[in-house]
Amino acid sequence: MSAKEKIALDCDKLGIHEINLAIRKAATDGIKTVEILHPMARHNLGVAITDPIHLVYKGDVGYYAVSLSDQVTAEIHGSAGWGIGDNLIRGEVIVHGNAATAAAPSLRGGTVVVKGSVGPRSAIGLKSGQLVVGGGAGYMTGFFMQKGRLIICGDTGDAIGDSMYQGAIYVGGTIGSIGSGCRYADIDAAERDELYATLDKYQIKAPKAFRKVESDHSLWHFDKKEFEVWKDVL
Amino acid sequence: MEGRPLRGPTYSGVWSPDAIEAIQEKAELGRYQIRGQATKRRDLPSFDDLVFVPAGLSRMPLEGYRERCDTRIVIGEGRVKRPLVLDRPIMIAGMSFGALSVNAKRALGRAATKCGISTCTGDGGMHPEERKNSAKLVYQYLPSRYGLTPYDMRKADMIEVVCGQGAKPGTGGVLLGTKVSAEVARMRDLPEGVDQRTPSRHPDWMGADDLPVKIQQIREAVDYEIPVSVKVGASRIADDIKLIARAGVDAIVFDGMEGGTAASPTIQLDHAGIPTIAAIAEAAESLRDMGLKEDIKLIVGGGIRDGADAAKCIALGADVVYIGTAALIALGCHRPIHVEDYHRLGTTPYECQHCHTGLCPVGITTQYPKLIERLDPDEGAERVANFLNAMTMEIQLFARACGKNRVHDLDGNDMKALTIEASMMTGVPMVGLNGRVPKWRTY
Repeated sequence: MSAKEKIALDCDKLGIHEINLAIRKAATDGIKTVEILHPMARHNLGVAITDPIHLVYKGDVGYYAVSLSDQVTAEIHGSAGWGIGDNLIRGEVIVHGNAATAAAPSLRGGTVVVKGSVGPRSAIGLKSGQLVVGGGAGYMTGFFMQKGRLIICGDTGDAIGDSMYQGAIYVGGTIGSIGSGCRYADIDAAERDELYATLDKYQIKAPKAFRKVESDHSLWHFDKKEFEVWKDVL
Repeated sequence: MEGRPLRGPTYSGVWSPDAIEAIQEKAELGRYQIRGQATKRRDLPSFDDLVFVPAGLSRMPLEGYRERCDTRIVIGEGRVKRPLVLDRPIMIAGMSFGALSVNAKRALGRAATKCGISTCTGDGGMHPEERKNSAKLVYQYLPSRYGLTPYDMRKADMIEVVCGQGAKPGTGGVLLGTKVSAEVARMRDLPEGVDQRTPSRHPDWMGADDLPVKIQQIREAVDYEIPVSVKVGASRIADDIKLIARAGVDAIVFDGMEGGTAASPTIQLDHAGIPTIAAIAEAAESLRDMGLKEDIKLIVGGGIRDGADAAKCIALGADVVYIGTAALIALGCHRPIHVEDYHRLGTTPYECQHCHTGLCPVGITTQYPKLIERLDPDEGAERVANFLNAMTMEIQLFARACGKNRVHDLDGNDMKALTIEASMMTGVPMVGLNGRVPKWRTY
């Protein structure tokens, strides 16, 4: 790879704003890859990057890495703090370690892959796109999910998919409990094939089987005398 | 009693018609009541509890129509590359496309543009028509994140991170299905016609320690170009203001419990939060304690009806007032036209609080095309601009009468309190005491 196709930015030598400006400039200059060295869990590394570029983080990142971004691909060789991939529009983020609370919040598209596990309330308010988790997920993952797909290969905490409007959650391990307004659903052959193809693409060991969780639409309309449903959600 | 003159019905003080109606409606619905507009309480301390004490001989007034009285205010001056310059200390409060019709958004944008002030997206994303019609537009960043993109953030003139609102502090939003039209649903990524509820907390941060990181993210996204504010509903306001200020914002926004809404649980409207005049005093004191009163602008809303209320807010420490309901009323809300449609809703002009139904007779809080057509955006814009002009003149009137050539020079010494409660809450001296210090001042 030629020098022009790849640059490195050292977080020990540059401030957060300088890093973000340099990534944006690299993207507009047509540089294909930016390596981010010594991220040391600093926050906001890679915010509002909206031109195509590939980011390689050489270590752990803090809050909101690859956030409010579009057309970006990224690999994180470490773990991620809160809100990894926040509001991603298009692109792909791969975390080789674990991700903390609220991984992939409010995605508008694209894919966030976490090879390890994710914290609670991950994929919260998902609007499109998908979160793929090789390990487990914390409580209330998929909370207020609106659209999109969530694949969790391991176990989950309680209240998965609570108050979700639409979208689908697939869990390979044990589900602590499903949230209000959710139900289990059947998985057809085409869905199953697509799930396994997705995991194969990201080289994640697939579980033997998945259970699917979806909205039962009981919370779509606030005009029902169903106290048992509503008491826990509003 | 024999001989006693006839009089009207004698309602119970406890079991008033409103209380009886509320119980009967809940018995019917099986859930709490929801309605729009604002609290119905009449016993709150209000701006009417304060009066100005204009110049006489001890201080000289300015000439009413001849001597200049500056109204300009800048948010983020010296802090960001493109501060928000307002020609008057008034902003149109956040009201979503969804809660409001597109024609209402157009009209508010045109009026605000004419008057050199800003309007605000509210929840639900930035509607292109609103951006087109508003020279200065505040973009709300909410827990729902509906329609949020970095592209729209960069088109904004200020970002307002919403953590709560005065009408319903501590809860998320509600938009009933009658207003979730195909366009609203598309912008919010929701199923059409669903009763939309939004979370009460942001999805990806929790509490005051995380807020500075979120503010940094937003500033990075807009490249430190435009100001960033945080909005809360007035409740634990003194502490909230300090925590927000510590996060490094350019402005803090709050509205008191009189603040408006398009839909809220009725019980929340009447029993949560604190009144606006009490909140301003606490908020301003918090910023002064931190030595940040000049750096961080205070934007205050909640029940502001006219220039007197606005001038009193400023005198208590606000830099800008937010008006929502008053702007809608200027636009035509409660206007006695299409009266038969008010009656169909079981209400009348002047008492209607049916924004939540989506059946607004005057085309403001609706998504039904036939109702939206009833609001002419140009005519509405003119009415709102007229109101904003009148309001501005009223603010200047009080400033000049108090001998001030800047409306922002109004302060607590320009007012007296008519009630002990208002005096205690605001620190404004009680009328009739003439400087004598009552014992409670030393509390």
